[in-house]
Amino acid sequence: MSSDQDGVLRTSVATNGTNASTTKCTATVDERVEFAGIPLRNAVLTASGTFGYGTEFAPFLDLEKIGGFVAKSLTLEPRFGNPPPRIGETPSGMLNAISIENVGVRAFLEEKLPALPEGVVVIASAFGTAPEIYAELASQVSGHPRISGIEINASCPHVKSGGIEFGQDPKLLAELVATVRKATTGSLLVKLSPNVTRIADMAKVCEAEGADGISMINAVQAMEVDVETRRPILSNILGGLSGPAIRPIALRMVWQAAQAVKIPICGVGGISSAEDAVKFMLCGASAIQVGTANYLDPGVAGRIAEGLANYAARHGFARVADLTGALETG
Amino acid sequence: MISSIRSESLPIRGQGRVLSNVVDRNGRKLRLAVPDWPGSIPGQFVMVGTGATASVPRHDPLLPRPMAVYRDLGATPECRDSERAFELLYRVVGRGTTLLSEAQPGESVSIVGPLGEGFPVEESDAPALLVGGGTGIASLYELARALAATGRSTRVLLGARAEADLIGFDDFAALASEGVELICATEDGSVGVEGRITLPLEAALTESGPGALVVAVGPTPMMRACADMAGAKGVDCLVSLENPMACGFGVCLGCAAPRAEGGFSLVCKAGPVFDAREIAWEGLP
Repeated sequence: MSSDQDGVLRTSVATNGTNASTTKCTATVDERVEFAGIPLRNAVLTASGTFGYGTEFAPFLDLEKIGGFVAKSLTLEPRFGNPPPRIGETPSGMLNAISIENVGVRAFLEEKLPALPEGVVVIASAFGTAPEIYAELASQVSGHPRISGIEINASCPHVKSGGIEFGQDPKLLAELVATVRKATTGSLLVKLSPNVTRIADMAKVCEAEGADGISMINAVQAMEVDVETRRPILSNILGGLSGPAIRPIALRMVWQAAQAVKIPICGVGGISSAEDAVKFMLCGASAIQVGTANYLDPGVAGRIAEGLANYAARHGFARVADLTGALETG
Repeated sequence: MISSIRSESLPIRGQGRVLSNVVDRNGRKLRLAVPDWPGSIPGQFVMVGTGATASVPRHDPLLPRPMAVYRDLGATPECRDSERAFELLYRVVGRGTTLLSEAQPGESVSIVGPLGEGFPVEESDAPALLVGGGTGIASLYELARALAATGRSTRVLLGARAEADLIGFDDFAALASEGVELICATEDGSVGVEGRITLPLEAALTESGPGALVVAVGPTPMMRACADMAGAKGVDCLVSLENPMACGFGVCLGCAAPRAEGGFSLVCKAGPVFDAREIAWEGLP
């Protein structure tokens, strides 16, 4: 298998479906997708907060083999997170309450971005406690030639002020998206919280206020208790649940949102394999983000991209983009 | 402050072939052969999958576990091609380590490493006193060898509740041939000094004077007691922290340890080796 510079993957396909060594025919699949105005080499991005500033993955993964990555959420000033314990393990999942620890927007632009290879697509993520702060972050990053888009983190489930408040109230979300929209002409994504009653309503707000795309879902608000110490496992008590445990919830929400809006959706939530990625695309996602799985296997995003193309070839799709919304419900 | 040491080699993600996975007193010793293993410096660690890599992906338990490289063996006769072998020392404490204990020779275990910054190894006329408790002793084996190889007087002090808890004892005892002295303390007096390991540490510090180095790795109260004792005598003390972490390479931010000067340091990147004075001990869980 080889990948051309133009992003067209030529892959050999076994027609018996199981024995890949029995090559019977060769198909050509176009891996490229366009997401919210951003041309991507392939549909696989990595999720904010699980991929650092990209360079951490250089020993494990060719960053130019994935569609791109969403960097750790930025605040105007550097920020420390919560005291430990910050993470814990739950059945097929991970609970975290880090609280947007980051280097701040200046160090990101001056130190982190220049350290990345030229061809890597970078989407910045912004976090704040008021719409004006998100807008200021958007204007600071969106003019930078290395930034392909900005994702509003309107959904961090464990910061006491900001983030999730915007993601849970349609009026606040509308004000936030509208304010940031005025501050940038670049591709604007909104990362939605799953901690709402009607996700489709939140997606419609994003669309109405001019967002170019939606990333969904952020972590599911959750908690866990240690019965020996009779304490919550996190210092913050509440945290965000991620990993395979939340994947069916994320899939349901992507499907519901895709029914409600025309702007593209980036599927996020527990994706660990190419099959998981396919499911999100079938349910309406135009691209996907790999999150917690990056911790388990720092090279997994590259293999998901390969597997996605193989799936498309095996099922006779000329373009990976044709998987979007191809769910059979009849 | 003493600085930890960054390794030149980049970490790899690979599958370790299980060579053996045997009981060692109340713990276990897992020997893996990993293709293209670049070798580690004393104090570095790996992230280890919980159990043998299954043919079908398994998501529970989800996260890999950080474990210090115990004995870094290089190309042993069991290694094929580019494989290099190393060992991990662990105790079965939960589901993850139970599954790991069931990994059979010939099966694979996923690893990411070597990770983190290791111990500085410096020549000195003053002795090095390496204090270990529990599985923390795993960090000390290669360090003891490296220090002794510089000609420095190197003493390992292992503490446990009882003789059966002194995992790795035989390996450390065998280091006598390399000039490493071994002292043990058990709380039940079944072997060595009766009491906590801080008893023989105090005696050794009194004897050795201010140029000595203390390295303490084990349960937080033990490390803190050793750090306090060394600090009171004006002796440098290095520790290796064992905070839970999801990735091991600076991304999940789960392993943050509070710094004495405020803020946090990531155990996986800035550590796991720290000068004990850098840590705000009261803030560690």
